[in-house]
Amino acid sequence: MSISLPTYTRREMPLLGRRHRLRAIIVTGLRREFKRPAVIVSTLLGVALIVITSIAILLFAGLFLPGQALDLSFFFVPASNQTVLFFITLMASLVGSALIADDLNSMALTLYLSRPITHADYLVAKAAILAPLISLIAVLPLVLTPFVAALLGLFSWTIALQAIGLAVLLGSLFTAFYTSVTLLLSSLTHRKSYAAAGIFAVTFGLTIPAEILSISISNPALLYASPWEDYLAVARAAFGAPGGQIDWPWALVILLAATLVAASLTYLRMKAVEVVAG
Amino acid sequence: MTAVAEAAGVSKWYGEVLGLNAFTASFGTGITGLVGPNGAGKSTLFKLLIGQLHANQGTLRLFGENPWNNVPLMRRLGYCPEHNQLYGWLTGQRFVEALLRLDGMSTKKASTAATAALKVVGLSGAAHRPTRTYSRGMRQRAKLAQALAHDPDVLILDEPLSRSDPMARFQILRTISEFAKDGGHVIMSTHVLYEVERITQNIVLIHNGKAIASGDIHAIRALIDEHPHAVRIETSHPRQLAQALARMDHVVSLEVPSEDTLLIRTRKPDAFYKELPGIVADTRLDVRALESPDDSLEAVFRYLVG
Amino acid sequence: MFGEVRAVDDLSVAIPEGAIGLVGPNGAGKTTFLRLLLGLVRPTTGTAKVLGHNIAEGVPVRERIGYMPEHDCLIPDMTGVGLVTFMGRVSGLDADTAISRAHDVLQFVGVEEERYRKIAEYSTGMKQKIKLAQAMVHDPQLYIFDEPTTGLDPRGRTEMLDLVRVIANSPGRNVVLSSHLLPDVETICKYIVILDGGHQIAAGELRQLLSGSADRLRIDVRGDREAFAQRLRETGLEAEATPTGVHVARKPGVEGVIFEIAKALGAEVRYMGREIRSLEEFFLELVERNEAAVSV
Repeated sequence: MSISLPTYTRREMPLLGRRHRLRAIIVTGLRREFKRPAVIVSTLLGVALIVITSIAILLFAGLFLPGQALDLSFFFVPASNQTVLFFITLMASLVGSALIADDLNSMALTLYLSRPITHADYLVAKAAILAPLISLIAVLPLVLTPFVAALLGLFSWTIALQAIGLAVLLGSLFTAFYTSVTLLLSSLTHRKSYAAAGIFAVTFGLTIPAEILSISISNPALLYASPWEDYLAVARAAFGAPGGQIDWPWALVILLAATLVAASLTYLRMKAVEVVAG
Repeated sequence: MTAVAEAAGVSKWYGEVLGLNAFTASFGTGITGLVGPNGAGKSTLFKLLIGQLHANQGTLRLFGENPWNNVPLMRRLGYCPEHNQLYGWLTGQRFVEALLRLDGMSTKKASTAATAALKVVGLSGAAHRPTRTYSRGMRQRAKLAQALAHDPDVLILDEPLSRSDPMARFQILRTISEFAKDGGHVIMSTHVLYEVERITQNIVLIHNGKAIASGDIHAIRALIDEHPHAVRIETSHPRQLAQALARMDHVVSLEVPSEDTLLIRTRKPDAFYKELPGIVADTRLDVRALESPDDSLEAVFRYLVG
Repeated sequence: MFGEVRAVDDLSVAIPEGAIGLVGPNGAGKTTFLRLLLGLVRPTTGTAKVLGHNIAEGVPVRERIGYMPEHDCLIPDMTGVGLVTFMGRVSGLDADTAISRAHDVLQFVGVEEERYRKIAEYSTGMKQKIKLAQAMVHDPQLYIFDEPTTGLDPRGRTEMLDLVRVIANSPGRNVVLSSHLLPDVETICKYIVILDGGHQIAAGELRQLLSGSADRLRIDVRGDREAFAQRLRETGLEAEATPTGVHVARKPGVEGVIFEIAKALGAEVRYMGREIRSLEEFFLELVERNEAAVSV
């Protein structure tokens, strides 16, 4: 016979390290996102659309792209698919806009920061939730297309593997840019809808005017203002595709710089948020 | 004594959600504390009293009149809502003035009255700062100032103390007491029972949309038969004192929790307190301290609401 | 320093173990003090140690602190048990321990079946309990409670204060209770720090601070107070009648005299005990004096 009263003190056990704490935030966050139908549908739709159209174009290359050489430069086609841009923007606004804005709105940020993690840890964890989801659109279809093409025997594995490697690098670059910018926008407001609107504004508000204006006043330098055009310039250079009006090194520098600036601004903004309100 | 406000069988539903359910109570002169759990119907009652809501059933009278759509009656009451949102860009002075202008006061009179009201609540120093810079205690006082400024007969205050710091609490309670001393009536709700107790003995206890007790706290306490009244006495001879007290037939139990304490439970506290001095004086036992842990609003609330 | 405003200035506080009340008017620097304790802001000058760790390194400090914020802070679309478990893991518990601890602490704070529902559906009282549970889940040595009873009805307040008291009385657990409700602080804390204008204006054992007039008795008399006080004075005692009762200087045998007089006058003695200033009186007096000193 024994009586054991409930206790609320913990059996003494060392706490796990910071990496485990971050992993808890990331895993919990990803699990929550993957429970949302909108996220699943847009992922599947985005990947399927890009891969299927690319393979179809490849199969009927003579019809769609007369004069297109069937070498590495072909893989600029899936990379430059407008669907990529649209679905990245969609994913960033579906998932990313809420990542920090919701924590500011519910003031759950206080809970996170009263835990043994730093501001930087918190941001890294949030970025680690968003980046995999964006890369599902920015990287996965670009990797799948050469793979399927090689499986179908349309390309040699040498070229396909090269294309896969380039796709990973290129996709990661664009993923980093969108992750960083999205988190910045999300940290600036309590309302995720504002942040989501901001993401659309960055994507289309910069790209469409830049494209139209660069033609109408025939000044291609304006294209540098569009992240999409910068990305295309880098992609074109990577896959060795012809054409393009702007220099890829500058485009690359602009994308990287914007990513870094947005990340540092986000960090400064988070540091300034007063989490213990009086 | 005439009642300031009287409710007879007042019911109010929000769709299927209960606001008040056949609420019957009378609010006397002076200060009355309205206490009850969250969602008991306090704010509903207030909104009915100020004519913002219309009861589904029953009659409600404020100074003998129906408050619904009764503009002249509104001039006689000052209301302080629970929420803390003010027009942040207005200064305290302008905020009170603007509301006075709505009463039909001239600009000049409104300005004087606003200055006076802000002085009463101790906000003179901050009168010309925008209210968004106010702390929560200052906001509560600004709300109280606008309720007071047109010199009403009755103040209706919904949680006037919540979230204020001790200085503001002190100031607000003092303002309310003084208002009542000058002949005004106050109906106020609060969650902090000892603060009501400090300024009034009159309460209305509301639970699930019904008034379950009203009147003097001690009288209500005495009516709660199933919980005998506990009295704790500190003495060096608890057992001898117990023997002497056991003769009283209304004493239900005597306990000696420690060697210098005697805990008595009695059904008739009034009789007990009347007889006690005689017994102590006759037996010459030393009684060093005496207190009743449950003759308080807190205890009444606990017994009636759980 | 926050811009131009020195939130806490030259503050030296030594906080002993046990339950400490942190009290002060708005703008006294309580919030900044809590931020410093949590290692969320760094002092412009000076140093502080919490549980032996320098607050400049926030992470080890926060491993040992459980913080219950004043404002809403819960993630509405998580379940009660989900949130508490999650917060346990962010504090460094492994997944299994975190779940087990979450259920233990939810039991302790009294959240039963509701723990499986979403927090968005909770009542104020329930949310408050979840806030307490998340502060407890990693079993910290130091608890910081910021206005734990805000928005609670009387029943909720009693429950919350009882929980805080149990924690404060546990061996090896320390509590900092910041509250505007001074009687609450009085019932829970043994030690108190009073801040005003960023300075500590008083600190010490509550009992000592408040027992300024331990040698007086307060008697709550039903009946003619003035006559009662008069009779006391006739026997050579110092006595006065006030709205709070009859106050009399303590001398040997004074209690016997009191009951003799009560018997003779047919008055009722409803309360008799040491005259203790309430923390509130003490606080208001102190702050007023401090403000007078500043304005000179």
